[in-house]
Amino acid sequence: MKPFMFLLAAAAFAMPAFATPPVALTAADVPALLAPPSKGVRVIALWALDCAYCEANLSALADFRAGHPDVDLVIVATDPVSQAATLDARLKAAKLDALPTRAYADATPDRLNFLIDPAWGGETPRTMIIRADGTRRAASGMLDSAHIATLVR
Amino acid sequence: MRRLLAFLSLVACATVAHAQHDMAGMTMGHGAPLGFDAAIDPAGHLWVVDTVGEHVRARRSDDMGRTFALSTIVNANGEPLYAEGENRPKIALGPKGELYVTWSQPRKLPWTGFVRFSRSLDGGAHFDPPKTVHTDRAEITHRFDSLAVDGKGDVLVAWIDKRDLEAANARKKPYAGAATYYSWSTDRGATFAPERKIADQSCECCRIALARAPDGHIDAFFRAIYDDNIRDHAFAALPTDGSAPKVERATFTQWHIEGCPHHGPSLAIDARGTRHAVWFSAADGKATVWYGQLAPGKEPARVLSLAGNGASHADLAVAGDHVWVAYHQMTAQGLDLVLRESNDGGAHFGEPRTLAHTDGPSGWPKLVLWDGRAFVAWNPGGTFRLVPTEALLSSGSQP
Repeated sequence: MKPFMFLLAAAAFAMPAFATPPVALTAADVPALLAPPSKGVRVIALWALDCAYCEANLSALADFRAGHPDVDLVIVATDPVSQAATLDARLKAAKLDALPTRAYADATPDRLNFLIDPAWGGETPRTMIIRADGTRRAASGMLDSAHIATLVR
Repeated sequence: MRRLLAFLSLVACATVAHAQHDMAGMTMGHGAPLGFDAAIDPAGHLWVVDTVGEHVRARRSDDMGRTFALSTIVNANGEPLYAEGENRPKIALGPKGELYVTWSQPRKLPWTGFVRFSRSLDGGAHFDPPKTVHTDRAEITHRFDSLAVDGKGDVLVAWIDKRDLEAANARKKPYAGAATYYSWSTDRGATFAPERKIADQSCECCRIALARAPDGHIDAFFRAIYDDNIRDHAFAALPTDGSAPKVERATFTQWHIEGCPHHGPSLAIDARGTRHAVWFSAADGKATVWYGQLAPGKEPARVLSLAGNGASHADLAVAGDHVWVAYHQMTAQGLDLVLRESNDGGAHFGEPRTLAHTDGPSGWPKLVLWDGRAFVAWNPGGTFRLVPTEALLSSGSQP
């Protein structure tokens, strides 16, 4: 099995370089992602390629952020960072590529789900709010502007 | 060296193909895809299907999964495959030793797919060239296939299908979610009846559970959409005489989510006709794996929360009064394979028991029965194992 995995890794390495974003998110990066912001609110928008509701949710969050400068929006794909080119293309198509974006880099994505929020079953879209005072809120599913405003405030 | 080169070029081809079809979200791509299915035939042979690159592979083990005596590629010509999570190859066994295999094939656009079928009538030595089960060939969602064989030996395939959504979009009419469709074959998979709809407005991304009732017909249990994106479950018997399936709501958790849970249910029906089921819900923000006995049209009986945070992808099996539920329990330390067991027909369940652990990922657990015993098929890190449900993982003896 191991030589097989090595060959796969070698083959993957030999593939053309991916576009730069999104940035890998490993288990070690989760505490920094979840750390309360020094001011305002961090919104973590979790999405997946195989989620028909996610881009609309990201757009709604991006629109909200545009009117709220104290909101720091981070887009995190639960798909692997090895699919960066596909992720980036989808974000570009939705005009969301100017925002900071991350993608999972863990052999066990469910583990990252759990580390980010143990109460989250991995359903997407998932929106997590972290305030400067350390309090958190989260909601699953596509949010409209009113719901986002309630969640953030 | 030549073999190595041949292998490398195979991997390279598969990698290029993967890149081309990435838009389809073919696999979640975290390492090799781990989706598999397993079944045990009446002679005690274990059959496992999984994927190798663009190929579906069927293997037979004569020693309960320790070694494989036979390994056959189902689709000689490689094709893109959904191979992970809820979207993985399936195997079902016919009464005369037939092997039936289905999978979903990603198309070029996101979320699209065709449901594919192949069979072997010579004990797995050869498989027929795969064919597409549905007559509809629009480049849309037909995926999340499920497969079952009924009491007459007829083959049923059910899947999630977005043709009604597409039609509604074209007319600028609202349509929540997708639909479920099914087809059947009365000639051992040589031909399939034109598909028919089970229900409109199903969830888009949760597997359909199929189970055989005591009279031999197949019942379906799947996540459906009620009112404003309440994602509970529907139950339907699937007739193979051309009559319409009767669809009734069967769970009432009131989970509201305009999104993709990727948590399908499981169903097993005992000899008395009791419909044992497990399903996932995160109503009120509480992720829960529920057990209940379905009473379509009404609240299920004996509803019990089996597991909470970090628990997922429960499978269920029943033999007599014995009910087994196996599921994934994620923890900060890694993934546990956990069992809950009832010896009184689901009236009470014992405490959760950890059967095995892995630091890495695994395909979803699948319970298989043999000789009154239950085993969990599991493939942590891509290495297949059949875990006896009597196993107890003691600390320091992690496999």
